[in-house]
Amino acid sequence: MSSNKESFNQISPSEFFYRNRDLAGFSNPTRSLYTAVREFVENALDACDQAGILPDVYLSIKAVDDEQADPKPYILTVKDNGPGIDSKHIPLAFGTVLYGSKFGLKQARGMFGLGATMAILYGQITTNKPVEVKSSTDGQSQDEYELLLDIQKNKPIIVKHKTKEVSKRGLSVSIYLEGDYSKAGAKIRDYVYQTSLITPYATITFEDPKGEKFHQTKIVKTMPLPPTIIRPHPHGIDVETIRRMMVDSHFQIPTVDNKMIEKVRKELGLKKKNLNYSEIMEKASKRWNGISRHVRVVIAVMSFLKMDFEKLSKIRIDDMDIANKKLVYWDFGESKSVSIDLDPESEYYRQLTNTIQGETLLSFLTKRFQRIGQATAVKFTEFANLKPEKRIGTMTNQELVKLSDSLQKFEDFLSPDPSCLAPLGEEPLKKGMEQFFKPDFLEVVQRGASAYSGFPFIVEMGIAYGGEIKSVGQTVYRFANRIPLLYDEGSDVVLKVVNEIDWTRYKVKNDAPLVIVSHICSTRIPYKTVGKENVADRPEIERELRLALQFLARKLATFMSKRGQAEMEKKRANLYSKYIPLVAQFCTELAGKKKEPDYKKMLKMEAMVEE
Amino acid sequence: MKNKSKASKTSEERRESLSRLLQEQGLKIYSELDRGEFPKFSVPSRSVSNIVYDKKLRQYILGNTASIRSARNMSQLRSFTQLIWLAFFANKLVQEKKSSTLRDIYYSSQAFSIDFEDQPESDNIIVDLEAVLARPREDLHIFPEERSSVFGDLTIEYTVPGYEGKRTNLSDHPDGYLIGPSLSSAELVDTSAELVIAIEKGGLFTRFVEEKVDKKFKAIIVDTAGQAPRSTRYLLKRLHTEMGLPVVILTDGDVYGEHIAMVIKSGSANAAHLRELTVPDAKWLGVWATDIEKYKLPTIPMTESDIKRIYDLQKDPRYQEGIWKKELEVFLKIKRKAELEAFSKYGLTNITDKYLPEKLEIAKSL
Repeated sequence: MSSNKESFNQISPSEFFYRNRDLAGFSNPTRSLYTAVREFVENALDACDQAGILPDVYLSIKAVDDEQADPKPYILTVKDNGPGIDSKHIPLAFGTVLYGSKFGLKQARGMFGLGATMAILYGQITTNKPVEVKSSTDGQSQDEYELLLDIQKNKPIIVKHKTKEVSKRGLSVSIYLEGDYSKAGAKIRDYVYQTSLITPYATITFEDPKGEKFHQTKIVKTMPLPPTIIRPHPHGIDVETIRRMMVDSHFQIPTVDNKMIEKVRKELGLKKKNLNYSEIMEKASKRWNGISRHVRVVIAVMSFLKMDFEKLSKIRIDDMDIANKKLVYWDFGESKSVSIDLDPESEYYRQLTNTIQGETLLSFLTKRFQRIGQATAVKFTEFANLKPEKRIGTMTNQELVKLSDSLQKFEDFLSPDPSCLAPLGEEPLKKGMEQFFKPDFLEVVQRGASAYSGFPFIVEMGIAYGGEIKSVGQTVYRFANRIPLLYDEGSDVVLKVVNEIDWTRYKVKNDAPLVIVSHICSTRIPYKTVGKENVADRPEIERELRLALQFLARKLATFMSKRGQAEMEKKRANLYSKYIPLVAQFCTELAGKKKEPDYKKMLKMEAMVEE
Repeated sequence: MKNKSKASKTSEERRESLSRLLQEQGLKIYSELDRGEFPKFSVPSRSVSNIVYDKKLRQYILGNTASIRSARNMSQLRSFTQLIWLAFFANKLVQEKKSSTLRDIYYSSQAFSIDFEDQPESDNIIVDLEAVLARPREDLHIFPEERSSVFGDLTIEYTVPGYEGKRTNLSDHPDGYLIGPSLSSAELVDTSAELVIAIEKGGLFTRFVEEKVDKKFKAIIVDTAGQAPRSTRYLLKRLHTEMGLPVVILTDGDVYGEHIAMVIKSGSANAAHLRELTVPDAKWLGVWATDIEKYKLPTIPMTESDIKRIYDLQKDPRYQEGIWKKELEVFLKIKRKAELEAFSKYGLTNITDKYLPEKLEIAKSL
């Protein structure tokens, strides 16, 4: 035996994240403070959104010691008016990594709820202080916890727990963490400002370490409709995705073990009785409509094996060869492999083949995708030159590729169902921008839903011009799923689209004071990098962005030309009233007249014409 | 002694006709305004495409293209107002017999809230008014800063306020008399001279006075100080038409000198809108390119811009014949030039003693 045995230790998720905290945005005190703010604020907003509560989020960052130089410990507190968390879930939710409720397929700000625990973990590592969680789900009693993470075991350690009476529902989380506000401050303020802009139905308050306060009261009082979970859209779906969907959609031959036999007995109502083979089959055919698919398959198999439960429990089904109409099983009692013929005339044969070969293409299309009805599915199979009754389990690789290609090319599918998305909506966006920028001109647009790679997305965009906007040239605010994107804007698809537009075509000067707000909602935003700060230039998204911007630019152009005319008229009137009297004065003297010509009626007439 | 030419206008007559012209413009605009119409000026176009050479007049003139400057047009309203203001202001100058410089105009405008952005803009409006009235700015009592001089037996009678009726003989002061507003507006009364010699350089002008060229050749000597200013050309024109004196011109022996002579003779493209500044019968005495070899003058080589200028002028219709064409060709061939002072190599008086008489003799046959 070797004395030098290499040891393989399983590490806990906490341990893993601790070792790889750079990945989650906790690489240095500056970035960590910013990331922690984001994670807690986004969790708070998501919690309110999901509960249908207009969010009121309070964020505060305070230095533990004002005199100390950065980087130094800070106390970060985020308080919301959301549904709170049940007392019994709190230790797990805040004291373990990978405990979260966000594993669905719908639009949300955060992805898995990992970030908040990462922030807590980071805080604990840098300050060795527990996280303080206060939660009230009923607005009467509040549970207050102080928790530490046991990194090795990925388990919470409850340092303190008490309950007290309160008058408000909601969750409050406080952590101590090492941060550098002097460097992260600008970014955090931008983040809070832009989050308020894209969440006009939220009240957001931010008190920073210097005592400065940002407060934005909610501008609108309606919440966007909450998203629902939906099936994928056929456009842009790839071969691999179809393959996975197919595996999901057709049944495997069930393992006939004791548990399964119990299930069959139960469904046939044979709990107590021991029937022979033919009695079982008789009972099954009587109850056929009331039994589950799995049980039907087992009955069908039994019909060919001609066995009762006793015998059935002593074999293992190895293969179901539909092509050669053979069934192969291993008989434990005899210790040999047995092959029997399947009678295609049998009424159970169809049941078996259906199960193994999966559903028909027609049924696959209508059941597994959104926006495909019977008529569309038939039309599509004609387009794709595939038989509608073709069973998807029997499709060759080439046919799969053909199916995938055709799904992308077929143009008669309706736009993806956007119900899984939660765009902000034109009205709230408009009101938010109005309040923030107080522009002379404002227009917003929400494009129809579109899809890339089977993921639906919606582009919302707003453009504001003039008024209190004093910037030289355009400022672009980018959002994805209501999160501001602050970094890496150079390579972002939104910037690309904005930069490519020829503003002179829309009567807009390059240095015009312009604000563009772009919001992309999707079940999956195609970020370019793990940093999740810039959106990749998927052609479908780029196209929607461009169409949105062009639409807005045309509206702006109309405004500009109207305004141009009005300004021109005003200028004209000013010029006339400045110069015509001078002309009159000089020509009167030149002509040697005493009285000036009656030019005033001319100015009046001119003014009337302009009106 | 020669009497004034009967055909020529006196200063008084010129002044009166100008006044009428200005008043006509004023009345036209007055009545347009009174009818409730936007007034307008017709301004002859001074663009290159509208400048043509008139063989009969032997000078550049403006073609028939004119643009309407209307008070209705917003982009023209300002310059329209500037134009009428200038007419008004010039009229006052003429009435009050006061003179002003181009720079004065620029500043005077500010008293009337006429906003000229800079002097070039006001200068440009002055040229517009010249074109509208077809009268040089000197008639409007507006003078450039540049001044040249005249010397010789010529009696003039001032018309400027305070000097009315006072006479002066231009040989009284050896430095010569400035050709300024008062001289330009004076009546030319009497002269014993039989010739006008225009000379490009002040230094040579002084030499000529010292050497009594005025007496020896019965000449009035004019210093053009390089390219002759308008007032100088106007005086030369008057000496020619009113006093019946032939005009000869002496310049440096280079392509620029040749063109100085040509401008006196037939005007410049810049002043194509004016027709009273040329002396078509004026003769260029030299220094010719051919003189450089003939008199073995010290030379300097031409620069590239000199040579380019020759090519440019060769395209000008006025340089297509006679000595004008020939001398350009010789300049181009020898690619060297000589200044008037080059004669000093042979003694300071060589130019007056030898060169001038010889060239005057030749000029008779030109």
